[in-house]
Amino acid sequence: MPSQLEDLVAESRERGAAAAFLVWNRRLHYYLGLYLLFFTWLFVFTGLLLNHPRWQFAQFWPNRLQTTTEHQVQPPAGASDMDRARNLMRQLGIAGEVQWPAQQSGPFAFQVTRPGLVVDVKADLELGRATVQRSRLNTWGVMHVLHTFTGVRAGDVHNRRDWTLTTIWALSMDAVAAGLIVMVFSSYVMWYRLKGKRRGGIVALLLGFVSCGAFIAGVRWLT
Amino acid sequence: MRRFYLVTRDLHLYIGLFLSPFVLVFAVSVFYLVHGLSNRPAPGPSDPSRTVANVNVTPAIGNLQGRARIDALRPVIEQLGVRGEIDFVRHVADEHRLVVPVRLPDRDTVVTIDYEQRTAAVTSRRHGAGDAVVYLHKMPGPHNADVRGNSTLVRLWHLVADATVYLLLFITISGIYLWAVLRAERGVGILLLLAGAGTFWGLVYAVAA
Repeated sequence: MPSQLEDLVAESRERGAAAAFLVWNRRLHYYLGLYLLFFTWLFVFTGLLLNHPRWQFAQFWPNRLQTTTEHQVQPPAGASDMDRARNLMRQLGIAGEVQWPAQQSGPFAFQVTRPGLVVDVKADLELGRATVQRSRLNTWGVMHVLHTFTGVRAGDVHNRRDWTLTTIWALSMDAVAAGLIVMVFSSYVMWYRLKGKRRGGIVALLLGFVSCGAFIAGVRWLT
Repeated sequence: MRRFYLVTRDLHLYIGLFLSPFVLVFAVSVFYLVHGLSNRPAPGPSDPSRTVANVNVTPAIGNLQGRARIDALRPVIEQLGVRGEIDFVRHVADEHRLVVPVRLPDRDTVVTIDYEQRTAAVTSRRHGAGDAVVYLHKMPGPHNADVRGNSTLVRLWHLVADATVYLLLFITISGIYLWAVLRAERGVGILLLLAGAGTFWGLVYAVAA
């Protein structure tokens, strides 16, 4: 008798755990979806813009506001180019992600970017003069850059992420991607529980995987 | 109203299931893109190259530009048995050569055509699934708009990527409706929606302002 009772308790605990999992799986699906809603809309909508570079209403580079100013600067201290660039940026009141040109020739030059602003800095460190060209982008430009603002590019050995806010934005991109993956898998669990929807769901899922797989593999009839 | 709810729920379910592999492709590739993990276009070991003689190409191809040049190159790369999207064309005029990278999600091929000698060298390199999803994520993209979509794959993928956007918008809006119907979840849901909006606008303000 005691062992039968223990089995019953264990079974009800298992059922309880499974039920709790299902409840929290459903909640996680809602909660993640609601929390990530604005991020998802941004990346989805800007993805559309990036795929349609000819859409006139979303043009931003030809409409940028450009200003060039000359500044007297103190010779920047620092052991590395990055230290000197940071020092110059502080003197010039610029913040953002530093991008180095592929080859450094002539004056000390770098670019500072953040969504909506591109700043080209050219400094003659011996004379203590810096030329700063600011290109300010419109709202479409800001949205466009937010989609791709990671601070790194594959194969680019000259640049690495160097601004704290770029890191935070990049982590938020990771979080949105991870959240979407969790939502996909939680949706599979929710769907599988609906016995009446299983057949239709399998058809939809197979269609999705086969068509998507065909693109990934670059199957012959698509190319 | 009940019927509207049921139809919306079914559409949310079936469209979501169909769309899920595409969402996974875009989401997984984010990690590669954000952390610079994709190997392209870094050089690496390639398959042995081959040289083809008597290629059906005329020297006039060297005078063409933009889309016209891509259209003229398509039959040339097809006769070489190369498939994929012509990425761009580099013309080395003094050597009478055209260097043509041709890409598939999982393969890069570089075709170097000597239009005077009518020979072509073909070198290709295979990529992993990670690079393939990154390629799809970035296609067709904002660059080289004049020549982009010169292969069936990228033309179709362009449609699929657009459809993914529109269907995801439907999924999110229908998802909001399906959540709003559930009275028990409204309180926490509204709090999370507000928290998400606050995080989003706060971050956008911090990086862009």
